[in-house]
Amino acid sequence: MSSTTLRAITHRLTTTPVEQLPPIASFLAASLNDCAELLCTPQTQKSGKSDSDNAVQIHKLKTRLASLLQDRSVEGRWTAVILVKATVEAGQWEILRGYEPIVRSLISILSKPDPISTRKMCIITLTRIFHLTYQYPTLVREITTPQLPGFITAALNLVSTITKTPSGSVRKPKPNTPFMEIVLHALLELIPRHITLFRPFGAQLRTLLVEVIGSSSPAYFPDHVIDVAEQLLVSLHKCAPKDQAGSGWKDDCKSTILSIHRTTDHVFRAVVEQWESVDATLVHTRPNYSQEMGDGGPDGLGLPGWSGLHSGVDRLIALLQILSDFISMPSAAAVALPMGSILDLTSRLTSVTVPPNGAVSSQSGIQFNQEISRDEREALWMELPRIHIACMSLLSRVVGILATSATSVTQTILEQAVWTFKGERFNRDLRSAVYALLRSLVPVNGPAMTRQSVVSLTNVLRSCCNDLLPPTGDSSSTGNSGSDSKTKSKGAQGTANADAFLNPDLQKSRRAQVSPFLEVQQNASGLLQAVFLSIPAELVPPSIRAEMDRSIILSSDKNAMFASVLNPVPAVKGRGAGSSIIPFLTRPYADQMEVEALIRPRMPILMTAPEFDAYVDEDEEAEDEDMADGGYSAAPKTTEFLKQPVSAPLQVPKSDDSKTATPVPTFHKRTYTEESTTEEPTPQKQEIQIKKARFDEIISTTSSQQPFSQPAPTITNAEAPKVSTQVSTASTTVASQAPEEEEDSDDELPTLNIDSDTDEEDDDVTMDG
Amino acid sequence: MLSESFVASTLSSAKSPTASLRDVGVCVHELQPTSILRSTFKKSSTLTNCLAVSPSHIFTAQADKAVIHVYNREKGNQEAIVPFPERIRSIAVAGGKYGDVLVLGTEGGRLIVWETCTGRQVATTASHLQPVTSLVVDPTSNFILSGSADASVHVWSLPGILSFSKPALSATRQPTNSPIRTFSNHRAAITSLAVGHSNGRHNIVVSTAKDNTAIAWDYHTGRALRTFLLPLSATSVALDPVDRAFYVGYEDGSVQSVDFYRSQSAQHPLHDPSVQSTPAQVSMEDRWLPPSAETGSVKTISLTYDGTTLLSGHANGKVLSWNVARRKYTSSVADYTHPITNLVMLPPGGIPHPSSDLKRKAHAIVKPRHDSGLSAPSHAPGAVPAEYMFHTHIIAPSDSRKPTQFSQALTHSSFPISMIEDGLAELAAFRQPGNVEVTRVSSGTAPAKESPEDAAARDSHVTELENEVSVLKKKVAVNETARHNADDEVVQLRSDLANLQDYINELHEKQEAAQQEKVLRQARKQEHETKKREAWLAAEKKGRNGDAVVQKMDIDDAVTSDSDDQSDE
Repeated sequence: MSSTTLRAITHRLTTTPVEQLPPIASFLAASLNDCAELLCTPQTQKSGKSDSDNAVQIHKLKTRLASLLQDRSVEGRWTAVILVKATVEAGQWEILRGYEPIVRSLISILSKPDPISTRKMCIITLTRIFHLTYQYPTLVREITTPQLPGFITAALNLVSTITKTPSGSVRKPKPNTPFMEIVLHALLELIPRHITLFRPFGAQLRTLLVEVIGSSSPAYFPDHVIDVAEQLLVSLHKCAPKDQAGSGWKDDCKSTILSIHRTTDHVFRAVVEQWESVDATLVHTRPNYSQEMGDGGPDGLGLPGWSGLHSGVDRLIALLQILSDFISMPSAAAVALPMGSILDLTSRLTSVTVPPNGAVSSQSGIQFNQEISRDEREALWMELPRIHIACMSLLSRVVGILATSATSVTQTILEQAVWTFKGERFNRDLRSAVYALLRSLVPVNGPAMTRQSVVSLTNVLRSCCNDLLPPTGDSSSTGNSGSDSKTKSKGAQGTANADAFLNPDLQKSRRAQVSPFLEVQQNASGLLQAVFLSIPAELVPPSIRAEMDRSIILSSDKNAMFASVLNPVPAVKGRGAGSSIIPFLTRPYADQMEVEALIRPRMPILMTAPEFDAYVDEDEEAEDEDMADGGYSAAPKTTEFLKQPVSAPLQVPKSDDSKTATPVPTFHKRTYTEESTTEEPTPQKQEIQIKKARFDEIISTTSSQQPFSQPAPTITNAEAPKVSTQVSTASTTVASQAPEEEEDSDDELPTLNIDSDTDEEDDDVTMDG
Repeated sequence: MLSESFVASTLSSAKSPTASLRDVGVCVHELQPTSILRSTFKKSSTLTNCLAVSPSHIFTAQADKAVIHVYNREKGNQEAIVPFPERIRSIAVAGGKYGDVLVLGTEGGRLIVWETCTGRQVATTASHLQPVTSLVVDPTSNFILSGSADASVHVWSLPGILSFSKPALSATRQPTNSPIRTFSNHRAAITSLAVGHSNGRHNIVVSTAKDNTAIAWDYHTGRALRTFLLPLSATSVALDPVDRAFYVGYEDGSVQSVDFYRSQSAQHPLHDPSVQSTPAQVSMEDRWLPPSAETGSVKTISLTYDGTTLLSGHANGKVLSWNVARRKYTSSVADYTHPITNLVMLPPGGIPHPSSDLKRKAHAIVKPRHDSGLSAPSHAPGAVPAEYMFHTHIIAPSDSRKPTQFSQALTHSSFPISMIEDGLAELAAFRQPGNVEVTRVSSGTAPAKESPEDAAARDSHVTELENEVSVLKKKVAVNETARHNADDEVVQLRSDLANLQDYINELHEKQEAAQQEKVLRQARKQEHETKKREAWLAAEKKGRNGDAVVQKMDIDDAVTSDSDDQSDE
């Protein structure tokens, strides 16, 4: 089939006029993907006539693509790029082998005045090719090593201009180029894989990146471009000579931290900071109070200077972003994350928060610097939340990478987050950032949290509840109507919200609208879940707990309600049982699997089974799956082991001798007729119909039965309480030999397992008898 | 490849093992698919509860020396020997799936917590009166449970011990680094602890002691849930993966399972207050007996991933496997000659498991630093010292980043549809003459900018530009004439349009006429028809054959209708 597809594709490619190729390009690419199997078969193994025909077709395809890449029309080249990518994805190594000329013509397209999309796709295709060659030394030698430097130069030429200085080449970004983002992405993708080839470009890249990141008004780049540039700058440490990879990271990270301190010296000049560094070696710069705020020279990372408060804060945020990239991006070798310095830094940045309105310096605990004008100070208050959001995301990364090992610093981080929140809760993005941080932090140390820490979270949790509620809650509508009536009586009707008065349905309809689930709500909901799950319920003040329950009910937040139900308020002595919000969970979500599992747990059904074997059938299945996957039964030693269950009933000490007598012969027969059991499925299917009916009876009797101690596996008389014992022994014998039969019962509930297994057991009987 | 392995450590004894096992103290043994010894680490001798395994390292506390041997699992060698001031009697790994924190129980009754990635080391108060012989860390990595020969089990808060900044109040109320809870229901030395698998508030722990009891209790409250009176003194305990039962090993080499779910009560049997005060008697006869009496005491037991096979390490150096379902001995898995004191199951390979999805890796441990560098600086209590570094290798990016258009395109089988559509739109625009010029010019000047170094280049550049200008002028002229032509054409087209309008009107008139004619003809036909019918009726009335008359009339009509048709044309 795929060979005809391939022939059709080559035919189409060669006969269709080049101008008409683009519209069918995406279709051809999809069809090429269908021939993946053919394209990636090694050609040396092809011998038959049809195989050689395929080889011819593949050769034709490659030749046609090569000529299309050189085609004079833009349409031809455009199509060729798409198809080259498709063949590479489909054929991998087999196709890449001998693609060197194609790679060369792809690189040459980059310098041609082709449409932007052609060149963009060209960059992506080349990135993918170099990306794929990484695993194969032969391909690296044939394709990557000779061609990658050319690609890097061509790509950099697209986005920058080079000037040669005595100390080396310097690249300046071209303003307004559509390729910046894609080129940076491509380089970011390739650097970790081809470190040695990138080494000569390290210095040039750095000059380009610092210009992009440090760009102010004349050459402006959007956020996502700067984001990639920051990641790329962080990856540059990998280009350092092999023996210095670790130290390159360390130096870069250290100079980033120092740059942040230096920038902060300027940005925070309107206040007198109370903060004291734990690092005695840190040197502060004295900003010049008479001039406009600014920093002239390049800093430790080589970033250019800046001036003005706003661009200073921009720089600070970019540096914080770089620092968080340092601790979250893969590193070339083992590195030492400077936790002490990072927490020292965030402690400095979060120590200054926006003072409450109208507070003078002594009240708010922040000392104002009298040499700086009030205007600049107020401008700083405006910028502070942005800085703190960046701090919070940095701390989130710290918690994310350290996970449970962050234990030693969680309390410090918690204090910083709560302090920042206290000062700047008016900013929604900051609230969202704090929720996101706490959401990852609470599971780390929540279970062992002290009452003081939980109480300190009170404010955060309360505003969390507010953020979760829909914008027009009940309280506001009642408050509104109350004020309406008041104003009416005073005759000041003009000031009231006339629309609300005229159209009482308006609010209802607005509430009914499904408000988009904002990021802040997502984080708030996540934080509440984490609090419910991790923090001991008795430590959460009852009023806060009630408010949390109320807001998750009103927002119908299934996961949070689940967390609340699983961790109910502990019963207080003398007040009866604690209340649970479980009805609010089951009403809207009764059809959900988790709700079913919570309300009607299957464990009691397992309990009805006598003794211990009850759950074994479930486990055995899991084991058998493993065995089937791992070829467990193939091992000679284990087959012996698998046979052993057969003799089990003989040796298990039984209280009931009369019943043991029956199974023994059947089990023995079972062993000897093992070969024949593999052809079992047909009779089994017939049996299922009959057995279902009987099983119903079994269930009804079982539920009323008392636990039965060690009943013998009987088969001929299907007495109710014995079912489960039968099952457990049966599954060990039968299931391991016929793993494919297990597929029927895997997805079913434990009760149903009993069903199917019983069937099998009975099948044996029918077969044997 | 799906596989399951365990790590076993031995206590060196007078017996001399085979050559391949000489000096070996720690064995990594593959259990499934084939039972085979995979690797060994040498020169170690451990007591029970003195082996800890993290994803990157194996730690063994030595039996007669106050040192810990650290083995690197990745490199397969001994990485370090770390001395401590006291003998270590038990160790456990904390820190979740990364296992970065090592907890040590000392002979003197204190705990030492060592962060293996930072080298920070914190010691607690000596709250136990006897050596700490068993240690477990709960699944949240928040609580440490330590059992001692003094019959008590202490519960410690790990964040409380490790945190740099302590909440102010708790610091004054009780001495720092002391246990938060003590469980003292046992009457003799604690032999073993096993913690449940829940992350929630109702997790349990099972402790066994030399007073022949096993107690399941809630370590969050310290409340005993159930006491089990065992037939013998248990040496080791393990919990089912779903916490449905626990298994104990005895001195005589037998093991036994104790099921929590015996009764049919709807309530969880452990949380049923009516039976909590009644100890449950575990029958002597229910024990699973070893194949022979020579196996010696059970030193340690462990369960496989699926919970269906129990492994026990014995004093005679054998590892026995027991079938949980059939409650009996299955086979002997391995023989290491020396007493097996610890068995640790490794997470299975080949099944996606949270523990195999690591974002970072520790290649080497950082030895504990005994200088004061890592204690909080004196001038800022509670602050994190600047020297506090976390040594690790970050291997996977944090997943917080959204997939970009680029990353989607990179792994797509060709290119995303949106990208191809953008390209098609651009190609369509490219084909229109005006745009071609714009793009060509802008892209033509761009590479020209790159070579302004020398004069020659500049000159060539100027001439190039001039050429281009002249070309452009030509093109403009061509455009101009084209525009003139277009104007003429428009005039021409307008007149054509007027003509066509006239023609259309004419046609309309014609059509109307034809319509009228048609109506007339219809009327005529109807008239004719009635005439025919009348004639037929008349003929019938007269007694003649009506049909003949009609036929005759038809022949007449045919002649007339022909002429009618012709007139229509």
